[in-house]
Amino acid sequence: MAEHEYGRLSALGNQQWKRPRPTGAAAVKLSGEVVANPYAWPYDGRLIPSRTALLVLDMQTDFCGKSGYVDRMGYDVFSTARAIEPTRRLLEMVRSIPEFTVIYTREGHRPDLADLAPNKRWRSRLIGAEIGTEGPAGRILVRGEPGWQIVPQLTPLPGETIVDKPGKGSFYGTDLDLILRSRGITHLILTGMTTDVGVQSTMREANDRGYECLILEDCTGATDIDNHVAALNMVTMQGGVFGAVTTSDQLIRVLLRLSLESARLTEGELTI
Amino acid sequence: MEGKGIMMHQKITVNEARPYAYSSGLEQTALVVIDMQNDFCSPGGFGELLGNDITPARAIIPVIQTVLEAARAAGMMVVHTREGHLPDLSDCPPTKLARSRAQGAGIGDEGPMGRILVRGERGHAIVPELAPLPGELVIDKPGKGAFYETALQEALAARGITSLVVCGVTTHVCVHTTIREANDRGYECLLLEDASAAFDPGDHEAAVRMIWQQGAIFGWTATAAAFQSALERSAAAAGGRA
Repeated sequence: MAEHEYGRLSALGNQQWKRPRPTGAAAVKLSGEVVANPYAWPYDGRLIPSRTALLVLDMQTDFCGKSGYVDRMGYDVFSTARAIEPTRRLLEMVRSIPEFTVIYTREGHRPDLADLAPNKRWRSRLIGAEIGTEGPAGRILVRGEPGWQIVPQLTPLPGETIVDKPGKGSFYGTDLDLILRSRGITHLILTGMTTDVGVQSTMREANDRGYECLILEDCTGATDIDNHVAALNMVTMQGGVFGAVTTSDQLIRVLLRLSLESARLTEGELTI
Repeated sequence: MEGKGIMMHQKITVNEARPYAYSSGLEQTALVVIDMQNDFCSPGGFGELLGNDITPARAIIPVIQTVLEAARAAGMMVVHTREGHLPDLSDCPPTKLARSRAQGAGIGDEGPMGRILVRGERGHAIVPELAPLPGELVIDKPGKGAFYETALQEALAARGITSLVVCGVTTHVCVHTTIREANDRGYECLLLEDASAAFDPGDHEAAVRMIWQQGAIFGWTATAAAFQSALERSAAAAGGRA
């Protein structure tokens, strides 16, 4: 894919489509609290959809699909692919709540690798999967290639934002912070790849920026189960040093109620 | 002390690093000592008030002392960081404040070492054994990462620094966040394993492994002794050439 083409795709993904903004009454009414560790999330006691974004981080073939980068490095892809189904289920629920924001990220580099740090390239070569070289899923970690695409089960809908990033953290070298602040988002729910690398870096960046973060254990995965467990444990230390941990089931329990309330409100408006 | 002309050509090579040898130019390398403050390492500080055992944090003080001496003798750039907030807490996110209060040690509250995690208080100061020398860069940061809302990147760029040797507390929080930020910015990072500590040894071990796994995904790790002997070899080689 030519550079201007993926540029166009990104621009499309970043557009704000006509999204009904919640009225003040709805925003107050639609709120809840999620059972999480080490505290009931969020800290201010209310999950308000209009101020919350679901982040689906790097659910790309390169990280959780067959013949992608992680597969090429010799790791068991199931340890990352396990996150796909629970994330798909969660997305379905979140999309039924109109004012909820969904943002996807994709790690990858420009075709000319101009945004690839030389040491990142060198290290990937050493592990036998050099970024930019041809692999079974196209050029490894290069924008526009098959391996770089989000897995088909989680394909973003039109109007859902996609942020392309050159690093592990989703805030460095991207417009994510600007997008979140422009929408008045203060709370983030993190899912994606991988628990100890991309997700953890993003959660740390978000926490330093004052966002209230929740990570979903079953919607993440790592190349090494010990790292997965350790990364989640680190979040919960010191009263939640980076936020809180829960499962998609716990979140869905609260979202289900919000979704029903939202439907009831819409119905109410229609009959007036 | 060696002259600048000689330093230009000096290389540091730490052979005993994980996952493989770490190499950098001496003049392009800075030592970064993270948050060795009373609030994290001394009795009555924030760390202890949160219910943590500060023994591991105290144990690394003499190790860092030796590393600092070696780095200063080699003429390396030395950076110290301190986590803390303005006295009016205007730079403290509400989320962070609420969580610290829920743990019984609210940021800004009066503690045995002054107001907790507030700039200028005794708890905020670096432990006396590791006090910065005049001319060494001290970075005050509101978050865990040393790059967010600080001038660290600009200061490193001004000195032409491309590699960071990192130590301090705590391994899995501030040290890790800073290495992650540095790695995304293209810096080559070496973590000194035994010059870093977490309150829980399990967190420390896990954090060290996360650095070097997947072909040094965030960087390298080595012992302080391995780094110091690399500095000695580097100086000897330069002396031989001179």
